[in-house]
Amino acid sequence: MRLFTRMTWMPALSAYLLTALALVYASFALPRLLPGDAFIAMYGGGHVAMEAQEEAKIRASARYNAASESFTQYLGRLGRLDWGTSTAYETPVFGLIMHALPWTLLLMGTAHLLSLGLGFILGVEAAWRYDSVPDRLLTSVMTFLEGIPELGSGVLLLLVFALWLGWFPAAGGETVYSGLSPWERTLDILHHLVLPLATLVLAYLPGNALLSRAAMLMTLRQPFMLTAAAKGLPPWRRRYAHAARCALLPVVTRLGLRLAGMLTGVLVVESIHSYPGLGTLLFQAVSLRDLPLISGIALFSSLGVLTVALTLERTYQYLDPRLKQQRVTLHAC
Amino acid sequence: MNRLFIKIGLIACACLLFASALGMAADTQTLAEVRIGDSKGDWGLPNPYHHYQRGPGYVRMSWIFDTLIWKDKNGEIPALASSWSYDPATHTYTFRLNPKAKWHDGKPVTSKDVAFTFAYFKKFPYSWAPVGYVQQVETPDDATAVVTLAKPFAPFLTNIAGTMPVLPRHIWEKVTDPKSFVEPEAFIGSGPYRFKDFNKTQGSYLFEAFDDYYLGRPLAKRVIYIRTGKPLASLSTGQIDVSNIQPDMAEPLQKKGLTIISDSYGWNKKLMINHRKAPLNDKRFRQALAWAIDRQELIDKAHRGFGAPASLGLLPTDHPMYNPATPAYPHSTAKAREILESLGYVKGADGFYAKDGNPLQLETLSSSLTVGGEQTPDRDGEILKKQLEEAGIRINLVQLESSTTDARVVKWDFDLAVSGHGGLAGDPIALNDYIRPDVAPSFVNGARYGDNAELLALLEAHVKEMDPAKRKELVFRIQEIYATDLPAISLYYPDSRAAYNPAKGIRWFFTQGGISGRGVPIPQNKMALVAR
Repeated sequence: MRLFTRMTWMPALSAYLLTALALVYASFALPRLLPGDAFIAMYGGGHVAMEAQEEAKIRASARYNAASESFTQYLGRLGRLDWGTSTAYETPVFGLIMHALPWTLLLMGTAHLLSLGLGFILGVEAAWRYDSVPDRLLTSVMTFLEGIPELGSGVLLLLVFALWLGWFPAAGGETVYSGLSPWERTLDILHHLVLPLATLVLAYLPGNALLSRAAMLMTLRQPFMLTAAAKGLPPWRRRYAHAARCALLPVVTRLGLRLAGMLTGVLVVESIHSYPGLGTLLFQAVSLRDLPLISGIALFSSLGVLTVALTLERTYQYLDPRLKQQRVTLHAC
Repeated sequence: MNRLFIKIGLIACACLLFASALGMAADTQTLAEVRIGDSKGDWGLPNPYHHYQRGPGYVRMSWIFDTLIWKDKNGEIPALASSWSYDPATHTYTFRLNPKAKWHDGKPVTSKDVAFTFAYFKKFPYSWAPVGYVQQVETPDDATAVVTLAKPFAPFLTNIAGTMPVLPRHIWEKVTDPKSFVEPEAFIGSGPYRFKDFNKTQGSYLFEAFDDYYLGRPLAKRVIYIRTGKPLASLSTGQIDVSNIQPDMAEPLQKKGLTIISDSYGWNKKLMINHRKAPLNDKRFRQALAWAIDRQELIDKAHRGFGAPASLGLLPTDHPMYNPATPAYPHSTAKAREILESLGYVKGADGFYAKDGNPLQLETLSSSLTVGGEQTPDRDGEILKKQLEEAGIRINLVQLESSTTDARVVKWDFDLAVSGHGGLAGDPIALNDYIRPDVAPSFVNGARYGDNAELLALLEAHVKEMDPAKRKELVFRIQEIYATDLPAISLYYPDSRAAYNPAKGIRWFFTQGGISGRGVPIPQNKMALVAR
């Protein structure tokens, strides 16, 4: 089956391209609105004072004049695939992002997958047992969890599991300079991943569970479910192969919408757990007014979200073939 | 059916991984490794031209680079120089170097390296060790360096010989741009540890022991710096072995068996004043502010009692040259109001002052600060606002991020700003930086006060006074004038604490007067890791 026709992808693609251009401009202009500058951020609270002429010399250097770059120069640079050099770290921005990105992807990816999978299954099972004790219990627990912000749950988890019980480390992505074998290193990374992952899953899970439950409830009332029951299909097959497939659509849509807030959501969790991902890097870049790095991360993550949104849109058409002619759907079958 | 088995299999694998991750202890604890915790992580590459300008940056460099003189737990000790003498007639210091000292690449440290370092720092200034006064350095033999100064310089032994890292001539003589020299050779020094790695995204440093260290054997094979936002939890789990902590954390950590150490006062909270702008340009008005502020209330409310009121003469109360007769301003709202009224302000019906119809209103900037390398939130602004409003001055409190506040203070675009800085426990030459008006504009902690000619003359004079008793007199007078003129108001000294795990056998300590002549209040003195 053709996944898309020319009619559907041309306008969509041009809309995405326009958005991408707007994002490039935003990533250039917005960081320059920050008050303060990189020189003061680096030398301002210094322990010792320099002489005035030495300061003038450093201020005039190329390193601290990233703000004087014009938009055309910025575009030219990007056209050459040169993301620039970080003012604070004096290394290429792209390298810094590539070092931090795997950590964020690991955390975000696992968190989204786990909360999607687990939330979906919980929602489906709860809807199937509508108005029973397990269903009501799940709904109330999920509603309660939905109200707890990542800031609160992150610190709480640290307090209980790192400070009191001591089961998990309080900071970091892995034990640095440990010289462990690859298998041990994987386990170490997973060990450090547990608390930040738990914080994020607790944040994303309730929404997914409640949405799947609602979507499932709407689907279960459809006539084709009665047909499936009449055919004598086992309950789990009716639940998953027939009903859940329809309920999946709004959940995936929600995932796509939530991805836009990916970086801001993970920033809080990474800061609390000192996790070395893009969120921490962005936080430090902003503190140090490192314009090339801020622009780089902002552009990278916004283009990344755009690409994922575009990909997801293609996935909808696979999940629901009726969408070949339409755009996005927020409701189930 | 197959799909179900696949699902079950995946869930089982996940559980297995989870269980094994739980069971695995992440840390392998041996004395082979010492881990130091820090909340910021990134303090720049550890050499004189790359470390960040704050204390923790200098300390990381000090592991690798030795100075001529250093300080340990009990005070001054010989480092690269095993003995030294001073000739007052010619302002000459003679240093005899330790023949056992070696660079990390095996070459011996000679007087030619010392002479080269002085010349190099003259050409490419290093702000921690200003060598402007050094006229020449002679090297009669490989083990003797004779340093002649143009003028007497009282803090030479502490602030130059005790602070300036000695660079290897055979590496740096070819370097014409030290700021871009980041090859591995840039980190070859004569200190007890070699620089191995700095990971920017993780904010971690790795140093490895230099076994041929001339002062003794390093006690740990590796020193690792780890970034952690939660020192309390990290210390409890054993993820790190030593860290600065908030004073409230001391009790729970002590119960867990950790040792707590306290520092003398070297860091003060300060109210910066824009003394170039009316009405703050009148010193009587600034004195009224000082009377209106209740420093003990600040300590009690914002710091749960962990701190001590500051001396208004800038030098801390436990400093060797502290002047006990420094004018003090014990809290008195009545006295503040008296002064304001004598300046022509009239109290309105609402209790606030106005002059010629203009209400007396000041904008106060407040932000979170870095204390000893750790970020702490700031509540003093709110309490100060309450105290000053009780005295009849309207305060408009603006909470800003620290770089934003700094940028405004640099441009003199503020009335009052709550700020803070350290460096007060070291040599009183620090007073010069914190007072004089011709300091670099980006030095936001300085009062930049040029209105009192006697004060400026004294600041120049005390640095050249070699007689300790006479110098003390001059420094006493400086504190007296400063506390009368009040270009900035020192508020209090927060208690500074650190905790370490004694099971590792390392006794960390706070250096008397701080690390280096500039008084860095961090308990990471390399001598704690050297067996002597």
